[in-house]
Amino acid sequence: MRKDLVFGMAGSGGDGIVSAGDSLLQAAAAEGYHGVMTKSFGSQIRGGESSCRVRISTTPVLNPGGNLDVAVALNWDDFLKFGAELPVSGTTVVIYEAATNIPEDQIPLVGVTPLQVIAVPIAGMAKETAGTERAKNTVVLGLIAGWFGIGAVAVMKGIRKKLAKKGEELVEANQRAFDAGRAFALAHPLKASMNIVASETKGNVKLITDGNDMSAAAAIFAGCQFFGGYPITPSTEVMQFFTDHVWRYGGSVLQAEDEIAGIGAAVGASFAGKKSMTATSGPGLSLKSEMMGLASIAELPLVIIDVQRGGPSTGLPTKTEQSDLFAAAFSAHGDVIRPVLAPTSVADTFRTTIEAFNIAEYYQTPVIVLSDQEIAARKETLDPIDTSQFKIIDRLRPTGAELQGYTRFKQTENHISPISHPGMLGGTYLASGIEHSESGAPTNSGSVHQRMSDKRTKKFDPLKNRKDLFEITGNPDAPLAMVAWGSVAGICREALAMAQAEGMNVKLLVPYLLYPVAEGVYNDFFASVQKGLIIDQTHLAQTFKLLRMHIDLPKGVQPLSRSGANPFLPGDIVAALHHLLSELQRSHEGELQPQE
Amino acid sequence: MSATGTCEYQPKDYKSDLKPIWCPGCGDFSVVQGIYRALAAIGRPPHEIAFVSGIGCSSRIPGYTTAYGFNSVHGRALPIAQGIKMANPDLTVLAAGGDGDGFSIGGGHIAHLIRRNMDITYIVMDNQIYGLTKGQLSPTSQKGRVTCTSRYGSMEEPVNPLLYVLAYGAGFVAQASPTDLAGMAATIEEAIRYPGFAFVNVQSPCVTYGEEAQQIKGLKSISESLASMGHNPADRLAAMDLAQQYGQKMHLGVFYRNPEPPPTYGDLVKERQALLSKDAQPKERILDLFIKK
Amino acid sequence: MAIQGIDFANLSLKDALDLAILVEDEAQERYEEFAAQMDQHRTPEAAKFFRYMVENEAKHGRELLARRIKLFGDAPRSVTRAMIFDIEAPDYDAARAFMTPRNAMKAALASEVKAHDFFVSALPALKDADVRALFEELRDEEVEHQDLVKKELAKLPPDSGLSDEDFVDEPAAQ
Repeated sequence: MRKDLVFGMAGSGGDGIVSAGDSLLQAAAAEGYHGVMTKSFGSQIRGGESSCRVRISTTPVLNPGGNLDVAVALNWDDFLKFGAELPVSGTTVVIYEAATNIPEDQIPLVGVTPLQVIAVPIAGMAKETAGTERAKNTVVLGLIAGWFGIGAVAVMKGIRKKLAKKGEELVEANQRAFDAGRAFALAHPLKASMNIVASETKGNVKLITDGNDMSAAAAIFAGCQFFGGYPITPSTEVMQFFTDHVWRYGGSVLQAEDEIAGIGAAVGASFAGKKSMTATSGPGLSLKSEMMGLASIAELPLVIIDVQRGGPSTGLPTKTEQSDLFAAAFSAHGDVIRPVLAPTSVADTFRTTIEAFNIAEYYQTPVIVLSDQEIAARKETLDPIDTSQFKIIDRLRPTGAELQGYTRFKQTENHISPISHPGMLGGTYLASGIEHSESGAPTNSGSVHQRMSDKRTKKFDPLKNRKDLFEITGNPDAPLAMVAWGSVAGICREALAMAQAEGMNVKLLVPYLLYPVAEGVYNDFFASVQKGLIIDQTHLAQTFKLLRMHIDLPKGVQPLSRSGANPFLPGDIVAALHHLLSELQRSHEGELQPQE
Repeated sequence: MSATGTCEYQPKDYKSDLKPIWCPGCGDFSVVQGIYRALAAIGRPPHEIAFVSGIGCSSRIPGYTTAYGFNSVHGRALPIAQGIKMANPDLTVLAAGGDGDGFSIGGGHIAHLIRRNMDITYIVMDNQIYGLTKGQLSPTSQKGRVTCTSRYGSMEEPVNPLLYVLAYGAGFVAQASPTDLAGMAATIEEAIRYPGFAFVNVQSPCVTYGEEAQQIKGLKSISESLASMGHNPADRLAAMDLAQQYGQKMHLGVFYRNPEPPPTYGDLVKERQALLSKDAQPKERILDLFIKK
Repeated sequence: MAIQGIDFANLSLKDALDLAILVEDEAQERYEEFAAQMDQHRTPEAAKFFRYMVENEAKHGRELLARRIKLFGDAPRSVTRAMIFDIEAPDYDAARAFMTPRNAMKAALASEVKAHDFFVSALPALKDADVRALFEELRDEEVEHQDLVKKELAKLPPDSGLSDEDFVDEPAAQ
């Protein structure tokens, strides 16, 4: 019996493998399991290779998992295009479409001998039972139900609900295909049973959503009333969620003519007194940088969600990467601090997005939420979230007394000035991208520039002390350490558990606040550290470099970086930790040896 | 207006304490006066007006009014104005800037604002030159114009701002100039009162880099009032015919005013909000959308 | 110079007086604007002269207003500023950076001539004898104003014949 299963399935778009993944995740959730589903596509709009990875577990899932337990290849060419995204190992059961005529002993997996390889006449069964090969995905779901014990009832319940409107005939065809798959599996048991154990939380309410929808929902919850944006993969769904829902809350959304207009409208809405946001991906972030600078100098709250994909330029539009870190921290010219936050999962996207709005409002600043394609597009099962635990912060408004002779950029102890908005009697002022004095009057005076730059940067000092924006797990005094953020953090959490199970003395720091760099938090964390890894999915080791710019990292701390579409597996990280540990032991041995 | 001819608001109520950076003699001095007068005639309190601009000499204009001003970045007055209008549809929203700001770096935005028909008035101070950066060729400079970036004469045809906005279907299109301040004030007033997107091109001479023919005397010699010509502002095709003469003649007044203004974007937003808010869950329960039973 | 919505043939004395007051108001305001521009651009001598013109226009305006009140009290006004433009006020582009007092005076002189021309051109249409008398008086006063400015011009040292533009810095790019 298994507590955790990782499925990886690939085919061409016409095979409906992603929709099978969806059905599997929903069925698992209905049966009380936790799960994560990620999708990955080729570059074709339709009919190109597509894949999904579904991880199902009896305990909350931290990431989409490492090596596959079960690989389903409807077509070998398509499957192989995903390379390291769908890694097959010696413990993988491989199920493939028998219609390829490839004998079991000649399957095109190089350098690996799977646990078991099964050719199944999936297309044939679909044709025979449903009258069309298109039902292959339903046959696959039947196979999974039969071999792994997931969704025997729930899958068809879900399909029935989804297709109810289309008629009983279609539902019945699917039922026959599903039953055929399941019957095939039951008639051909695996060498070693891989049935999942029953969930203890069956019947509990579960939510299923992805990072993009979650961030949009969180924004509306935080009081966001305006979204301005432009379609760009993989962030578009954020705007789509707004167009579906924001009207109900008295807000509005503008699909603008370009990225600049999208953020421009959001800046305008914020000036008009409403919480507002935009969402984009790498190329859009580049275009938006001038407006981000404007929001910084005009001290206007604004949230920008950047769903990272492989870059630069068009790069890898459908693959995840963390290489927008430098751009998020430093794009837009001039001396400016712009907070950057990053969620690590769909679940904490809710909290991180609310936090972004709170920081934007409190500090009157644009804030970037660095999501990534992996989090944005992956579906997670979630336990219900008690929304009453989240505090919502609104920008500081001038009091009646402050509106007598109002000074928009008044110097205050915490460098935050009450902000008025059009419609507020007595609060009129000039917002501007040009340097301005406390009253808002344009200036080019060096002393005013110095003073206002001070105001705009010092106001962030308290943010760097927000320890609650950092998560430290493992032994706090460990000499061995990891730092990881975003979707990579979930992989490192699992690596930490694996390393600890092996007896390693190690700890992990996950920052939700990436910038400004909280020197104090890192200095405390690294105090015990002799060896460590700064892990990210970038080619340039951006996180390592960003930290080194602000902190004197211990000499033994080094980057572990990989460019996009080359995902880390928890095992890779544990292996790297082993390497560090042996270095550490060698150096200790060296210390003990008498000097010659 | 009261019997003694006083309004609740006087033009001076819209004048701020900031001193214009413009060169003495700049046409923009007249434009800001025209705006003060138009706003006084409409009589909205300054704090209910948002005035947005981009970058350029003329884009300093919001700061010279007592409205909520936003002197933003080059070419982006219109997106910001749209965000303001959508966030608070009750505001009177004005946008202004120069020909470079509006028709070069920000040229892509106008068509889309027109398509959306938001109730925003856009005033372009057209001087056929980049003044703030010292006299480079602008999108409305005449072909052959010699400037510091076209030493041997421009090789490009100018943009025709009037035809541009008419072609995209703007509901209100007018032109004004400092040769007739009263007319300019009246035109701007009518533009602000128009329920939908309104465009006013103001020929505003640059005394420092402008050509002699584009100074007030030159403009007077080519100006003609559309009203006195008997032009019917409801006739869009006639307006487009007249607009063809941009650069040769300076027609003043309203080229086109849609006699049956369609609903504005704001109207449609309100309608949609009213329709959908009926079955709205409180936002505290927004995550219920993700429940899979 | 522009006029709209005024029927000279049927202009009443009250409206004619109000019109004359508005003409002076407009000129006064324009000179105030010019003076402020000259202050801002550190051309104090031109600013001083424009303030002198502000005073002249104001004084004339006050005299006209006194007459209007004496004759018509606070009876409602039916002519408005929107009906006139640039009658006695100099054109907006008459102001220039670094104006010499001489050029400032020349600009003022040109607008006094313009005002004179306005009253002259209106006279043939006037039917009311009192209005006609008033316009003739105003016309003559414009000549007096011209003389005032000419007197100021005469006080100046002779023109060097050099252009101001040859001495000043180029505009600063922003």
